[in-house]
Amino acid sequence: MSSIRPASALTEVTRVLLAVAIALAVAFLIVLATSEEPIKAFRTFLTAPFSSNRTRGLWIDDVAKLTLTGLAFSLVFQARQFALGVQGQVYVGGLAASFIALSPIGVTPLSIPLGMLVAMCAGSVWGFIPGYAKARFGASEIVSSLMLNYIAIRVVNWVIRAHLAPPGSGQLNSPDFPDASVLPAIIQGTRFDLGIVVALVMTGLVWFVLYRTVWGLKLRLVGHNPTFAEGAGIRANVVMISTMTVSGAIGGLLGAVYVQGRAFGRIAIDFDGNLAFEGILIAIVAKSRPLAVPVVALAYGYLRQGAQLMGLRTDVPTEILGVVQALIILLVASSFTLPGRAFIARLMGRKPEVAR
Amino acid sequence: MTDLLEVVFSATFLITVIRASTPLLFATLGGLISDLGGALNVALEGMMLIAALTAVVVSVYAPWYVGVVAGMGAGAALGAIMALFHLRYKADVILVGFAVNILAAGGTVFALSLATGGDKGTSINLQSKAIPSIDIPAFEGIPVLNFFTGHSALSWLAALSVAGIWYFLYRTPRGMWLRGVGEYPAAPEAAGIGVNAVRAWSLVASGALAGLGGAQLAMFNYIGFTRDMTAGRGFIALGAVLLGARHPVGAMLAALLFGLFEALSIVMPGIFSWIPGELVQTIPFVVTLLALILFSYRTQRAERTLS
Repeated sequence: MSSIRPASALTEVTRVLLAVAIALAVAFLIVLATSEEPIKAFRTFLTAPFSSNRTRGLWIDDVAKLTLTGLAFSLVFQARQFALGVQGQVYVGGLAASFIALSPIGVTPLSIPLGMLVAMCAGSVWGFIPGYAKARFGASEIVSSLMLNYIAIRVVNWVIRAHLAPPGSGQLNSPDFPDASVLPAIIQGTRFDLGIVVALVMTGLVWFVLYRTVWGLKLRLVGHNPTFAEGAGIRANVVMISTMTVSGAIGGLLGAVYVQGRAFGRIAIDFDGNLAFEGILIAIVAKSRPLAVPVVALAYGYLRQGAQLMGLRTDVPTEILGVVQALIILLVASSFTLPGRAFIARLMGRKPEVAR
Repeated sequence: MTDLLEVVFSATFLITVIRASTPLLFATLGGLISDLGGALNVALEGMMLIAALTAVVVSVYAPWYVGVVAGMGAGAALGAIMALFHLRYKADVILVGFAVNILAAGGTVFALSLATGGDKGTSINLQSKAIPSIDIPAFEGIPVLNFFTGHSALSWLAALSVAGIWYFLYRTPRGMWLRGVGEYPAAPEAAGIGVNAVRAWSLVASGALAGLGGAQLAMFNYIGFTRDMTAGRGFIALGAVLLGARHPVGAMLAALLFGLFEALSIVMPGIFSWIPGELVQTIPFVVTLLALILFSYRTQRAERTLS
């Protein structure tokens, strides 16, 4: 799974593109059936993100975040752990980075790196809990990580509303961070900021750790061939806990990138807008391979931004993207082939390929 | 504190507990059926959400029971889709389940906006119906007996389902097939039982039960649909399956326990107004997490002593 042959990589890519095409076709049919202006809506969906500097900035900003959440999910999926706690880690990480930014350190150049570091620590604690609960007690990581998400969101929202928002203002966000705590823009006047660099560096790091270190090898063995890993004397429990902890650190980092990013520069309640969960789609389509994650994030981020602009500018709600997402996951995760394929193969006098 | 005790030991609180437990119980039974068949259904949340919206929209145009059946049908259909992709197209059942959850999170808001003409938050401007409660006037005002009046019709159905599912699982051949398929698929396979067919039906039944839970949520607990109104109940139910030791009666007790804490989180803001609402809302999740860990620990210890 880690080193795939070029031929199979090609079919993989074809399958993904086919899945996206089918999902978009279904979305188009839905738009056609429900919208007053279907052509305009769909054109907005497919072209708007590239139309101006501002929208391109929004797109790249999303790509950075999607890459980070995709990496966090890829890491746990590689170890075949269904820990789904990235959202909670984003909240605790974001809150931790906000504490740094709003403290006296916030005005010094130390604020950004220190904020990221503290956010990673907070996220890793949040990732450690389900890992430990599973390794030590056998508690399902799916349930425990999701419960921790709900807990984190509510507690962080409370801290923001009751303690960080200016007292008596009724606002649901903290005051703006000092400039030294906001990521510098790469292209002035857009949201194209340092976040994307952080995401790409992280991609390289995760790739290195997974494919060039002993720990990464153990992680992949536990995920892909648990019986062999056990026979080889790899302690699955240690791998389990450490994987979820490291993945939690990436989730926490995403929290820091969120609040320090130019899009925010402060922390607000419900700030992640459910983006964290979209990492599941990124990881599944990228087959949990870190180097594929930014590519998938680039493409998916485009669709995401398109859907948002479509929601703003036309009568088609943004949430149609949920349908596209679900279809892509279903088609990519399954072994579907085009219905006509077996028939064509028979016409050509060959035996149809056996579906994997 | 005495205020809290007074509230907790009142008949109305018990009714609140039953009301909060009912959607959870349906979802837990749904999770139990598919789990026993060997397919972990993580889509309970999404199934409930889609079923809730379906039930609300259908009940605008039809009697309440048609709305409930429509919600059940929506859940069952999602179960069938899961079965198709998991069993026919060999996708991982957890990934398929998450696809359903994602479809539900976005799709319900999309459909809600279409049904209400642009409202993405609630179905408040739809005249949706409610499930009637079964009131027994003779029992009112009599201690103990008054616990048995004022519950939703579906609460009674849920209680009956527990008995029915217990009978099905432990007293009928098909129930044995289902448990066999989950326990050791090779054996029923050798006996000529279609393993995939059994699993597919278990997912459909699971969806139908979760759908009933969704209908109860949007037509009794609340009247009308709000976005993300399931608020993690499907995942709590997943924990309740494990906590209930994968047995229908255990599932009922676990659902009642979580329902109790949900009811507490409903009444507490009225008594302790100084506790922030957000923290009160975390109670069901904290309890689920702790219960899951404690129960897993106990099971693990029991297994160790056995071996």
